[in-house]
Parts: sequence; C-alpha cells; structure tokens
Amino acid sequence: MGRLLRIAGELLVTLGVVVFGFLAYMYWGTAIRASDAQRAYTSQLTSHWSNDNPLEALADLHTISPGTPFALLRIPQFGRGWQLAVVQGAGVPQLALALGHVPGTAMPGGVGNFAIAGHRVTAGNPFWGLPSLGKGSVIDVETITATYVYVVTSKPTWVPSSDLAVLAAVPFHPGEQARQKLITLITCDPPWTGTSRVIVTGVLVRALPREPGS
Amino acid sequence: MYGWLWRRLPGGPVARLVQLVLLVVVVGLLLWFVGYPWASLHLPVDPSGLG
Repeated sequence: MGRLLRIAGELLVTLGVVVFGFLAYMYWGTAIRASDAQRAYTSQLTSHWSNDNPLEALADLHTISPGTPFALLRIPQFGRGWQLAVVQGAGVPQLALALGHVPGTAMPGGVGNFAIAGHRVTAGNPFWGLPSLGKGSVIDVETITATYVYVVTSKPTWVPSSDLAVLAAVPFHPGEQARQKLITLITCDPPWTGTSRVIVTGVLVRALPREPGS
Repeated sequence: MYGWLWRRLPGGPVARLVQLVLLVVVVGLLLWFVGYPWASLHLPVDPSGLG
C-alpha cells in the first residue's frame, strides 16, 4: 500500500511539473515561436514589396494561400514599434504565429469588412490591449499597394463567441449591402477562455498609395 | 518510480546523477520542442480562431 502511494505521489508530482512546463511554454514558448515567425514574415514582406510592382501584385492579394503574410498591422496606441504581420486564414495554425485575416471577409481598403483575428494571450499576446482601444484610435494596415488608415468608430463590443454576425460585410447586419470600408479586430475575452469575443470596428479614412519599389 | 530508475542506472552515485540529469534534460527538450508545440495546437487554450 505504502509503495503504491509513493508511486502515485511521484506520478502526480511529475504530472505537476509537466503541466507547469506546458503553462510556461504557452506563455513564453509560443511568444518566442511567434516572434521568430514575425521576423521572417516582416523580412519576406519588405523584400517582396521592394521588388514587385504594386499594380501587378494587386491581383495576387485576392488569391493568397492560408498562412501567407500579406499585410502589416500597426496600432500606434500600443506603442511606436508595435507592428505585426497579418497572414491569410484565422485557424489555429495561423494564429499561433501571426494575426489572421478571416477568409471571406473584405481585403484591406476594400468595400465591406476586413476582419482580423488574433490571440489575446499566448503567441506573444498580440491583441492583449484590444479592449483599451476606443473611438478615434488609429489602425494602419500596410500592404504592397497602399497603407490604409482606419479610425475606430466606437468603444469595443463584447459578443458571445458563437456570434459570427460581426464578420458580416456590415457588422451585426448580415445580408445588408456594404457601402463602407470597415476593419474589425477580434480576440477572446476573458483571457485564456473562448466564452466571448472583444470586437473593435473602424472605418477607412485614408489610403496612401505605395510608390513602386518603395 | 524514481527509486527503480536510480537502481537501474549503471555506475556509481556521481555517474548515476549525471545520467539522471541528462535524462531530465532530454525529456525536457523533447517536451519543449515536440510535445508542447503539438499540444498547444490541439488544446483549446485562448481559442481565438475562426476556422
């Protein structure tokens, strides 16, 4: 009996160490993994943008394969150097490394809703500060064709995680014809759970076209 | 469990200690670079994904 208890105790202590290691990995390991991927994506994008003609590359933006980076997102309120690559797709593999463009939603600068999802915690906590954005906050999206400047139109909204109406061309009004050029940023709330999502919506106020080779 | 492992390792106490530390390091590295990355993509931690 005593031997069995000792073995059970050793197994439980081992399990505790393994679980603690997993939590450490989720916090620090995923951040290192995402940081490495972000460096590679940013380098890939800047090299691609300086070599390609924006007009020729415009068509490619609409046929991007999942996991391919195509834009850089900047939110000045999060800090001067805050910049993250956006990849196509918003599944688990994509969000583990970057922010993800929700397939089927508009592209940057397009009429409709350009929706981007990101982790609140893990993968470097990219959207940790999303609830702190408010009316007037600026969101820049740089692509090969232009830098699109969006301005947040209201305070963040909290919706159940099953509510996908936020992804409609007119957020919360599925089926309505889009007239505006919108951006929607999505993340989880409370952190570490998937019970609800924080939604931040902005409208395009300016597009600064990129010069070829710049 | 650890007692059984200690008895199975060859050599004197110092050699056994070195082997045990190496074993812990190898298991730790396997978890960090293989086990945890796999689990992180399959467990619903901060499920921000949308398909």
